[in-house]
Amino acid sequence: MNDATSTVPVRSRRTGIITERTLPYVLLLPSVLFLLVLFGWPLAEAFIVALSNESGEWTLDNFREMADDLNFADAFRNTVLLVVIVVPLQLALALGLAMLLNQLRRGRDIYLYIWTIPLGISDLAAGIVWLAIMAERGYLNTILNGLGIIDGPALWLSYETPVVLFFAVVVAEIWRATAIVLVILVAGMQLIPREYNEAAEMFGANAWQRFIKITLPVLKPSLQTALILRTILAFEVFAVVIALGGRNLPVLVGEAFYWQFEYQDTGVASAYATLILVISVLATIFYLRVLRVREETLT
Amino acid sequence: MASIQVEKVRKAFGNFEALKSVSLEVRDQEFTVLLGPSGCGKTTLLRIVAGLESETSGEVLIGGEDVTGLPPRARNIAMVFQNYAVFPHMTVYDNIGFGLRMKKMPEADVEAKVQRAAAMMHIEEQLPKYTGQLSGGQRQRVAVARALAMEPRVLLMDEPLSNLDALLRMEMRAELKGLLQESKTTTIYVTHDQVEAMSLADRIAVMYQGEIVQYDEPIDVYQKPETTFVGGFIGSPPMNFIELSASEVNGRSYGRIGDSRIQMPAGVTGDVVLGIRPEDLEVVTDAPEGSFAARATVVEPLGPHQQLTMTVGGQTIRVTAAPDLEVWPGASLDLLPNPNRIRWFDSRSGQAIG
Repeated sequence: MNDATSTVPVRSRRTGIITERTLPYVLLLPSVLFLLVLFGWPLAEAFIVALSNESGEWTLDNFREMADDLNFADAFRNTVLLVVIVVPLQLALALGLAMLLNQLRRGRDIYLYIWTIPLGISDLAAGIVWLAIMAERGYLNTILNGLGIIDGPALWLSYETPVVLFFAVVVAEIWRATAIVLVILVAGMQLIPREYNEAAEMFGANAWQRFIKITLPVLKPSLQTALILRTILAFEVFAVVIALGGRNLPVLVGEAFYWQFEYQDTGVASAYATLILVISVLATIFYLRVLRVREETLT
Repeated sequence: MASIQVEKVRKAFGNFEALKSVSLEVRDQEFTVLLGPSGCGKTTLLRIVAGLESETSGEVLIGGEDVTGLPPRARNIAMVFQNYAVFPHMTVYDNIGFGLRMKKMPEADVEAKVQRAAAMMHIEEQLPKYTGQLSGGQRQRVAVARALAMEPRVLLMDEPLSNLDALLRMEMRAELKGLLQESKTTTIYVTHDQVEAMSLADRIAVMYQGEIVQYDEPIDVYQKPETTFVGGFIGSPPMNFIELSASEVNGRSYGRIGDSRIQMPAGVTGDVVLGIRPEDLEVVTDAPEGSFAARATVVEPLGPHQQLTMTVGGQTIRVTAAPDLEVWPGASLDLLPNPNRIRWFDSRSGQAIG
């Protein structure tokens, strides 16, 4: 060994602020500052605004006003229903597709790319795409009319047909956001050694048993990530709903929007925002607990 | 317990022929090792017997029953995988009991069999642990216990020891041998390690380029290789091959090695290869009939013996000599091949003659 390599000037480990122990924290500092300024501060601000009145006293008035509003119950129910229906459907679809993709020997990437195209489209644009299909003079009516199923244009997205409107949103959401679950699950499945499946098959498990007893449990970390991500985003559903139904299908984030920009009431809007945050945190904690992975089972 | 018959199995992956019409019979309770370099088709053949891979043509019979096309779970066999393939999300107990539970066996029987298999592999202490907490050697024990617990008709092992370190491998090898002699389970064992093959097998099937080139008892594979490939693949250092040209003198054929002549069996003519193992070349002093002189180029004292690299007539050979022989690079020694251990090969085809 050449001595020159070991005498390359290295900052002493004892001097200065940057030591081996503090280095990780120093490196993290910019991102912590970023988070504090752009997330922590607005978050605290929203809490304060939600929990105080104009004269700066602590109060629950904003939450009371939110809860007493005519649209609140509908918005809450619609949002929860959307999450409860959309997320499991997306999970089931993505699992099925991921299993199929996993069986492909070639062309897997091409399929994956095609299925992930909707991810690249903004959710408002996605909503407008489906509006073009579902609108009075949209593609759906043209087809139904052509087939003779309906006579003349039918209204699907009005306040008179809330169930159709609701399911239009469900379909649009599934079309738009299933791919993110798929991508996470495909990545997770690729990490599962093929031998697990072969061993299970060798020891008597049929395809369904292999899926339930091997694939799903080993896939748990990916499932957890996908579910947390999708559930939080599903609680924030907004643009697709606005595009398809305006306020005919009230949802929580939509209400926050209207209170902020229509009624100019930041207090109640902040109360909505806080409520959504609390629900999201609770959902995350729920998934972290239910789908927790024991450390010793990670290899 | 059952015999295995592989009948003219062929396997092609696109244009590549992994197996070229391979036939193999493993007798009931026999331990057969498939031995060969990587890419020779040994793992493909094992996976076809397992049902994890489907043959392009041919048949597989287990216990006389045609299992071609049946899925692995319908074949009543068990397998030990190279990378263990123990399930990380289950305890050792659940891993070993997995196959039994799939058979819907009552829990009391599962417990008894799991305990027995764990005792055989000396992992009773590990039963409540997850496999991620175990070392590689212990995981492989779990994989073997999981297979033994099934009491299968046929046990398939795919390089089960290749991920273990040398010492552990030797220990497990001896243990496996004892265990499988006792259980008398028909076994096919894939390895590229010739020592493993020699020590474990009742019979070794040496594979090369998608074909079985020799299927014999270990000592026969070692002493009577049927091709130069087998002689060169088995043995460390491998068999020496000396190319000679036969010429006739007074009605007998002789070949020339260096300055000496060596008599060849009747009927052997033309270009041939003499195969002789390093330990079958004796260093002699009085230059008897049949011996030849060679010059040492490298001397490696290895403890129990010395490894000599020598040249004769421009060809390199290796000789195993006694540890106390006085020899130095450049020294000339007379070597006498053990006439009973000489193998003759056709120099073009590499096939043994006579």
